[in-house]
Amino acid sequence: MAIDLTVNGVRHSVDVSPDTPLLWVVRDTLKLTGTKFSCGIAQCGACTLHVDGRPVRSCSLPVSAAAGKTVTTIEGLSTDGSHPVQAAWVELDVPQCGYCQSGMIMSVVALLKRHPKPTDADIDAEVTNACRCSTYHRIRQAIHLAAAKVTAAGGKI
Amino acid sequence: MSDLDISRRDFLSTAATTTGALVVGFWVPSRAEAQIIHPEGAAWAVEPGMDEVNAWVVVSPDETVTVRIAQTELGQGVWTSNAMIVADELQCDWSKVRPQYASANRDGREMAPAWTLKAPGNGAQDPNGGGEPEFGDRNRRGVTGIPDTLYRRMRTNAAASVKDGRYYLQLAGAEARERLLLAAAKTWGVPVEQVTSKNSVITHGPTGRTTTYGKVASLAAHTPHPNPENIRIKPPSEWTLMGTEQKNLDVPIKVTGKAVYGIDINLPGMKWAAIKSCPVYGGTVKSYDFERIRKEPGVISAVAFPIPNPALIRGRTFGGGVAVIADSWYQAKTAVEKMPIAWDMPPKNAARNTANIRAELLTSLDQPGKVGVNTGDCDAAFSRAAKIVEATYTVPYLPRARMEPGNATVLVGDSRVDVWLGDQSPQETRYSASQITGIPESNVYIHLCHLGGGYGRNGNGPQAEQAIYIANQNRGTPIHLLWTREEDFINTTYRSIGVARLKAALDADGWPVAMEVRTATDAEAPGTTAAFDVAARYFAPNYRFSYHSARIHVPVGTRRGVGAPAQHFYRESFMDELAHAAGKDPYLYRRELVARTNLPYKADIIKALDMAAEMSGWGKPLPKGWARAIGFEERGAETGSHATLSAMVHTVSISKDGKVRLERVDVAHDEGFGLVNPLSVKKQIEGQIVWFYNDVMYQECNVEDGHVVENNFDRFPLSRIHEDPPEINIRFFKSGHWLDGMGHDRATSIQSAICDAVFQITGKRYRDLPLRNHDLTWA
Repeated sequence: MAIDLTVNGVRHSVDVSPDTPLLWVVRDTLKLTGTKFSCGIAQCGACTLHVDGRPVRSCSLPVSAAAGKTVTTIEGLSTDGSHPVQAAWVELDVPQCGYCQSGMIMSVVALLKRHPKPTDADIDAEVTNACRCSTYHRIRQAIHLAAAKVTAAGGKI
Repeated sequence: MSDLDISRRDFLSTAATTTGALVVGFWVPSRAEAQIIHPEGAAWAVEPGMDEVNAWVVVSPDETVTVRIAQTELGQGVWTSNAMIVADELQCDWSKVRPQYASANRDGREMAPAWTLKAPGNGAQDPNGGGEPEFGDRNRRGVTGIPDTLYRRMRTNAAASVKDGRYYLQLAGAEARERLLLAAAKTWGVPVEQVTSKNSVITHGPTGRTTTYGKVASLAAHTPHPNPENIRIKPPSEWTLMGTEQKNLDVPIKVTGKAVYGIDINLPGMKWAAIKSCPVYGGTVKSYDFERIRKEPGVISAVAFPIPNPALIRGRTFGGGVAVIADSWYQAKTAVEKMPIAWDMPPKNAARNTANIRAELLTSLDQPGKVGVNTGDCDAAFSRAAKIVEATYTVPYLPRARMEPGNATVLVGDSRVDVWLGDQSPQETRYSASQITGIPESNVYIHLCHLGGGYGRNGNGPQAEQAIYIANQNRGTPIHLLWTREEDFINTTYRSIGVARLKAALDADGWPVAMEVRTATDAEAPGTTAAFDVAARYFAPNYRFSYHSARIHVPVGTRRGVGAPAQHFYRESFMDELAHAAGKDPYLYRRELVARTNLPYKADIIKALDMAAEMSGWGKPLPKGWARAIGFEERGAETGSHATLSAMVHTVSISKDGKVRLERVDVAHDEGFGLVNPLSVKKQIEGQIVWFYNDVMYQECNVEDGHVVENNFDRFPLSRIHEDPPEINIRFFKSGHWLDGMGHDRATSIQSAICDAVFQITGKRYRDLPLRNHDLTWA
């Protein structure tokens, strides 16, 4: 059964079983490997991407739920790492192994859409992705830096 | 257009985007190499289109400097620090440096240049030298030592990448620089003594003429060094790049999703494999019913695999299993989970559970163990003690649980094997491939990928061996094996469960006159003597250390810090208990007991304790429900060789309903004669604070009916950002030795510190981790 969805601005019609998790459609069918697999049970958030602008754990979302919708992955955030969240990540040298960071960045972009100037409490409550290298100290600083960059650029994220 | 042409075009176009002028057209790859696609973000070895200056350095006409890295980047920053070491000596333009993995195949074929065989200088306490690398066993596939093969230590473990590799990486950069200068001098017809370089620009002093590394690189490649034995390395006082904070070179590709991890490999015609392995170690497949899943979408075949040969994986016995091969991984995984499989499980292993394992280890403490140290007369000292303090501690099985589940992609041809994976020990994998396929090791190629976390894996798991076995049954088809998270928990090695009984005889003033330490772990566990081995870190004139063991079926291996984290937990917890029993301040108690030792670096340890205490405001009042605790962590405190010494004060609050918060960490940290990349060092400290917080609060794997129970991140929780301490203060101090490494056992003191804070605040002393099993409430 063909399922239509728009990924990073490109329309695709994918012929997969409708219960296939969106993660595997993105990774295997569309070859966008920036989004990662880790737990498969929506715990860790390594697979976070956006469906219609909202963060989802794509390892546990059937592709049928994204039919007709707009999907944004890390590859769609910017082509050159110029998105303010990516720029803040580079400036503060956040990643260690980096495996969780695609999902982490997508969660943070969604956070900043809801809370352009997030408090530490907002961050604690809404950034629930796991980083095994525990880069959290720099992640928190980078979130505040990204928020400042977004504000300085006129507030649009 | 033939397939070969298509794949060559792919190769050329993608390689060119990542490596600049690396491919200049006259190099024609072999057919097998031509089939390899090199996506942007891939970092494995690619034979260059121009001659190299030496095995570590290639300079392209566009001034790009490719530095070959023989350690695997897994978050520790080695991709950057190794490149910094070479680039500082090379005196090249840092912005033009592009790291690339060294070729493991080539490392297996060529021997190291003679000028790398000896470390310059006079050991770990010589600031001008290359330190005191552990040459030890020179076996290429060994776990320790530095082989004489081309890249010396093509292995990533023991936090030793800088400690053991710095000297020859400095020499490699210096050798390349001197040959580039010779080439420029030859071009100009001037004496080399008149030629200098900086930022890849070469200048002839008397005339002011300049050229660049890129312009003379090909001549340098054919200009041998006349007397390489005379190459000197820069002491820290002359470093220009090392010692400065440099951002990690792979960060830009890690924030855009371009970094290529093993899981990201896609090859033309590749099929995916998902497995089910016997949940009880040592078990095998009795039967499976492929007919039940044959018609599932995408399913191609099933392959039963035997218990991976323990001789290939450091003696560890996992289980046999079945792989299902399908067009996509999700199809393979869905099908294998539907397939009926019957297992043969060894009844003895299936009867194991946490309780009987722990009981056996505790029993072993009362039996004769191996005596590690026995100084003075403990029995006599105990018989005249004013007070005896005894405590028994336990720690659970712990996996590394890196975020990237185990995976490997393997293509077995008639006479060649290609393996794509993140691998801390590629020479072991090459050997495995040759043993499993019968194809000579010289024809085994490892394409190294970045690792989604390491934390001590270093080739302990059988993902490569399983994938090679499955691909060997499917020659000609690239097979990408990927474990589910649950399979990752089955197929990993564990930090052994451990118990320890510490006993001290105190004199009337509360100082120990004797100390006895007994520890027990799995008999195969590595690192069992760490931190108690040669000397007690705290003075007791009579000291006995023995270690005991039991044979348990759970495969054990290295995990971040190996034996040290558990031993530090036992030791520092006991120091807190002794200080309490003596009615003394735990910081000053430790300080005095270190001062009484003859440890070679005791002044540095005291400095660390003093600095951390001062930074934390030690002794100043805290709100009710808050406490401070101190601890010290060390690698190599006892022998006068490399060492990494630090002390930390952890400020902890606990709410009345038992919620723990790490409020603040003050870190006083040894920087030796100098840190290569202080930014990476800070990141390692920050990360390990939460790593060990996680250990002390949550993490454990239990055994039930012979299998591991906690096998995903629901039952094996990972700390999140709200648990990161709001304040981390790090201060470095210089010491008179080179460091022993940073990737390991930093912040182990959190374990004892949180337990002691729980005691200070709630009055309850818990001696078994993790604390989530305990009531932390108070009134």
